[in-house]
Amino acid sequence: MFRKAKLICIGLLFLSFKSLAQEKKYFGQTEIGILFGKSEEQWDGSRQRRFDVSFMTFHGAHITKSHVVGFSLGIDQYDEISVIPVALGWRGFLGKDDKPKLFGGLDIGGGSTILEKKIGDQWSKSWYEGGFLVSPSVGISFPSKKDKTALSFSFAYKRQQISHYWGTLIQQGSQVIKNDKLPPGYNSLTENNFLFRSFVFRAGLMF
Amino acid sequence: MKSLYSSAIFLLSVFVFSSCHDEMNSSYTYRTMMPVYYEMSDIRARVITTEPAQPLDNPGKIYIYQDYLFINEPTKGIHILNNENPANPINLSFIPIAGNVDLAVNGNILYADNYVDLLAFDISNIANIKLIKRIEDVFTHMYYHQTGEIITFKDTVLTSENPNWGGEFWLMNSSMSFSANYSAASQSYGTGGSMARFTLSNEHLYAVDQSTLRVFDVKTASNPTFVKPIDLGWGIETIFPFQDKLFIGSNVGMHIYDASTPNSPTRMAVYEHVQACDPVVVNEDYAFVTLRNGTACNGVDELHVIDINDLYNPTLKKSYPMLNPHGLGLAGNFLYIAEGAHGLKSFNATDVMNIDQNQLEFLTDQKSVDLIPGPKSLIVIGPDGVCQFDYSNPAKLKKLSCIQVTNPTQFY
Repeated sequence: MFRKAKLICIGLLFLSFKSLAQEKKYFGQTEIGILFGKSEEQWDGSRQRRFDVSFMTFHGAHITKSHVVGFSLGIDQYDEISVIPVALGWRGFLGKDDKPKLFGGLDIGGGSTILEKKIGDQWSKSWYEGGFLVSPSVGISFPSKKDKTALSFSFAYKRQQISHYWGTLIQQGSQVIKNDKLPPGYNSLTENNFLFRSFVFRAGLMF
Repeated sequence: MKSLYSSAIFLLSVFVFSSCHDEMNSSYTYRTMMPVYYEMSDIRARVITTEPAQPLDNPGKIYIYQDYLFINEPTKGIHILNNENPANPINLSFIPIAGNVDLAVNGNILYADNYVDLLAFDISNIANIKLIKRIEDVFTHMYYHQTGEIITFKDTVLTSENPNWGGEFWLMNSSMSFSANYSAASQSYGTGGSMARFTLSNEHLYAVDQSTLRVFDVKTASNPTFVKPIDLGWGIETIFPFQDKLFIGSNVGMHIYDASTPNSPTRMAVYEHVQACDPVVVNEDYAFVTLRNGTACNGVDELHVIDINDLYNPTLKKSYPMLNPHGLGLAGNFLYIAEGAHGLKSFNATDVMNIDQNQLEFLTDQKSVDLIPGPKSLIVIGPDGVCQFDYSNPAKLKKLSCIQVTNPTQFY
């Protein structure tokens, strides 16, 4: 799983740097960071701290000098679950050229769990399904003196929904009444809906 | 622009500081047998009259009588169809009988269970069927002793947020569910399938539940009288009459009862095998038993041919591996087996030692639970409906008609 995630990161980085040479209308941002959060309540009422890795690239176009719209793509690792966030995004900038700028952003989309394998045997199956994500952010960028790139540091809030399903299968020879509450072929289904709320700190490049 | 950023920072702060706590909620959705309680007095107070034809929702047992098909809708009642032309059966009417799962026809009298009671209907005028007798409190195993009410179970899918799901309910079990079991009979009685729980023989109606054989005297068809219960042991599933014997399939074996004294059958032998679900059909020399591996059966998928020349000592002649055999039917030397989701098979069973070598046809797209070799057609009951085949050539079954059901059972 980690190997796959690593490959995707490298691919995204390549995509980002390849875009460096493109014309000014294009805006790109690549960031890596950490997701901070606290786990869901345990049986004893306690919560455990959570530190996860997040990688994101944003690709967009200037609609005005200070506003960019585009899409973001990345990978977030929540404990053992790899999520690929795909979102539509906006970035807005405040400040003069060649000076450090404040920027804000908003990404709205969904997280995919395509990297998670569906596990199953003749008795049961389990799988993940991604869900809604929203992530507002603020940051500061420091322009390079040599070219049009800039270093960026940002803070964000990220809200990501993920569902995990575990179902037992109807065994051969059984007859059951059709029911919309269960997928065909299932005798029972356990659904765990996770809502990850994270504070994110990222550092990266704008280009 | 500044106000925009101030707003963004403010909103972010609200998000961040409100909470970065994860949440998790769970739900458990599961099939179960939901207990349903009824007062029998309420059930008995309902007036049962013939209603206009209703679409088949979920067919259970089927009984052929003359040119009519009586198709049970488990726990709801009985559909009556005119089957004069098997290529075009016509839905005539519906008799609403709460709790009904079994039926049998004797002359012009239809017997049907109504939870704990046995009902007798006069069907001489099929357009105006009349309830003529109710024998109360015969299927007493349905009484729930804590309350005196009857208890029945409904296939239900529940969703709970409580991880201790299951509770007082039973996890779904295919044998406890509505079940597509069908009745069998011979001679002048109607004809049913191999998965019967009601059967008529020697002027007596025999009804089995999970542990008891109940005997009714039906010498006067319109006036059935309860004779007595006979304990059979647990796991009884089907009953098949042949001559003056009763072959009772249970999930541990096949019981053979001598019914030459019809009001008091006596056990001759029990042929025991591994635990499996097993309907039985019989001819002069052999009993054919299907053993089915299912949720409730935990056995094997086999056809057993049992030599019954010595009824006190039935012996296994040969067993054949099957896919998932349910009901079966014997018409002369030809054996038909409902292979569940795998299809429908026909064999020439003249040489019982080489039945597998004499498979005549295997219709893999005809999911089937039970079948009845009727006088006009082979009636095959499956999850998708009730189909009829011209079986004059067992090697080339020809589909005549299919009655589609509105709520097909999912079948695995």
